[in-house]
Amino acid sequence: MPSIPLAIDTRGIERVYKAKPRPITALAGVDLRVEPGEFFGLLGPNGAGKTTLIKILTTLLLPTAGTAHVFGFDVERETKRIRRIMNIVSGGEQSGYGLLLVREQLWMFSQFYGLGAREGWRRVDELIEAVGLQDQRLQKVSSLSTGQRQKMNMARGLLNDPWILFLDEPTLGLDVSAARAVRTLIREWKGAVVGRTVLLTSHYMAEVEELCDRLAIVDRGRIVAIGTPADLKRRIQRDSIFRLELDRLDGGASSLSGLPGVLKAVTASDGSSTSGGARQRTAVKLVLADDNALGPVVTALGQRGSQIVSLEKSEPTLEEVFVQLVGRSFADDSEDGGSDTDGRGSSSGTDGAMADPSAPPPPTAATERMTEDAPLAATGLPER
Amino acid sequence: MTGLTPSFDLGRTEGRGLRETFRGYLTAARIGWAVEANWADPILFFTYSVAKPIAAALILVVMLDIVSGGQAPAYRRYVVTGVALWSFVQGGFAGLAMSVLEDRERYRMLKYVYVSPTTFAVALLGRGTARVAIGGMGALTTLAFGALVLGMPVDPARVDVLLFVASMALGLVAIIALGLGMAAVVLQTRQDSWSYPEAVAGAMFLLVGAVFPLAVLPGPVQAIGLVLPLTWWMEGVRRSLFPGGVSAVGGPGSLFTELTGREAPDTPALLLALLGTTLLVTLAAAVAFRVSEHRAKDRGLIDQTSGS
Ligand SMILES: Nc1ncnc2c1ncn2[C@@H]1O[C@H](COP(=O)(O)OP(=O)(O)O)[C@@H](O)[C@H]1O
Ligand SMILES: [Mg+2]
Repeated sequence: MPSIPLAIDTRGIERVYKAKPRPITALAGVDLRVEPGEFFGLLGPNGAGKTTLIKILTTLLLPTAGTAHVFGFDVERETKRIRRIMNIVSGGEQSGYGLLLVREQLWMFSQFYGLGAREGWRRVDELIEAVGLQDQRLQKVSSLSTGQRQKMNMARGLLNDPWILFLDEPTLGLDVSAARAVRTLIREWKGAVVGRTVLLTSHYMAEVEELCDRLAIVDRGRIVAIGTPADLKRRIQRDSIFRLELDRLDGGASSLSGLPGVLKAVTASDGSSTSGGARQRTAVKLVLADDNALGPVVTALGQRGSQIVSLEKSEPTLEEVFVQLVGRSFADDSEDGGSDTDGRGSSSGTDGAMADPSAPPPPTAATERMTEDAPLAATGLPER
Repeated sequence: MTGLTPSFDLGRTEGRGLRETFRGYLTAARIGWAVEANWADPILFFTYSVAKPIAAALILVVMLDIVSGGQAPAYRRYVVTGVALWSFVQGGFAGLAMSVLEDRERYRMLKYVYVSPTTFAVALLGRGTARVAIGGMGALTTLAFGALVLGMPVDPARVDVLLFVASMALGLVAIIALGLGMAAVVLQTRQDSWSYPEAVAGAMFLLVGAVFPLAVLPGPVQAIGLVLPLTWWMEGVRRSLFPGGVSAVGGPGSLFTELTGREAPDTPALLLALLGTTLLVTLAAAVAFRVSEHRAKDRGLIDQTSGS
């Protein structure tokens, strides 16, 4: 078997929109290579150019300069071939022919993909089950909730069993549980057959972190960093930050500041250092020059009679990666990012809490499954 | 989870030729039939597709009777056939163009149709076909109304079947081609273009002799009418159903008579003119659509919505 070409291969992709006061450069030279089988994320703030790149790759938009190939096929000249092996699902839109039944609309799209009539019904019913719309299958599309519509849209996106699925902010505008269901569905579909490729864009960091093997951080039409989430976190320079909870701390946090290797020691905001309570605990945030400075601190605390109740190292977040690389906060200008280390602010510090209400929960909480078995494996039908 | 590895069989990227094209066309027609006909709301559907042309025919006939004192039965037939046939234009021309706007702005499905392997133009032709079929129901009902209520029965013995079939076939091709051309135009618009197709249809209504002969129009305007295949289509269908009726094209004061010295085109000339103008319009629409599609893809208009 000949070697499989890259799932995505773009070279110097530029895209300029003709706009009123002056042209807008949405993409300013993007080189991106994604291997078959990868779950790849494009993370970037609104307006970064994510949708523009996806539109070019899905044959909806022409690039101004550069070349792009999907599984070796040119996006400008071999559109038909690409369309047979890819699909796209966008979020944040209410799409669908309201008058059609869910099952009908999906079947009609299966016909656009050249499935036989009966094969189409079979595939549609499988996918309806996989996305959890059994109870809505004979309802009008217009009667679906936003979350159900997006599940239907996902089913449409899987009709042709694509080699590569493009997901443009697929959970945008969904409530927490619908967003989780969609993420679970994506993960299960991807996992059911080795070699399936996903390109997902998002401005929810936790979503990208939860789903993607590798990601590119995009800003103002450029890729500013690319790698696995762990790579990217490792890449940024950062002091070691620890959070300690102590049964008591005589002299307060500042008494630790003088210890060797301690750059800063502050009372952590969420610690219950309230006066009056019989049992007081003190949480301290320590910024150390490096991890090795922790030992002397622990020794010193022991000498002062402070018991360590808990100790955890705080990991850098993708947010911090973004701030370091781009020099400004991710969440537009509206939020002043959590740069406070004085411990007085809200609970959002460097612990990665995100303002976005529809952001997914941390990975540990997201292990619940939408269905017990994996219906999506069944849709990995052998290809003809 | 054990998985099958996709075989990455490149054969899957190849099309299945005409069969695939035809399947895409039929599917689009089915979507059109289900979506546009609005079967879920029969009253609304009836109002738009059936009652509207009948009402229009009735109004015009009454006006005509008042003006002529009931002395113009030939014009009655002329007007009623014109209004009936116009249902096809309403569907296949304005409706086809509207489906681009509806899919893009209202259903937000245009991009998903676009990125499927079915050729975009083929999908639109399917939608247009459905609209034409819906229009055909309006046309039939209006003609039936004319026959039963307005006393203008079609005499089966005198119908020129060959002329009827040829005119209808060419005419429907022309209508859909014009619709595709209109779709090419609205594809370029960003918003507020919902009224364009109806407006252009309205203008054509006056140019193609739907309810009055071209002769009443100024010469240069008549020339536009003579280049539009709809004029010849209507002329052909009218003549096939009601032989010896009023000609839309010729007659005193008409550009046609002035140029050819004939009272009205004979049937072969009529068919030739219909064929020629249909070919011209089809070619022009195909070119316009190609250019428009490329430009839309260049400007990011395929999934453009008024909101963003
Ligand atoms: N059709 C368009 N016409 C003009 N400007 C556009 C168009 N589409 C996107 N843009 C602009 O291009 C930039 C990138 O947009 P987009 O690709 O949608 O970013 P993202 O998906 O990352 O939010 C933005 O500044 C946006 O305003
Ligand atoms: Mg976007």
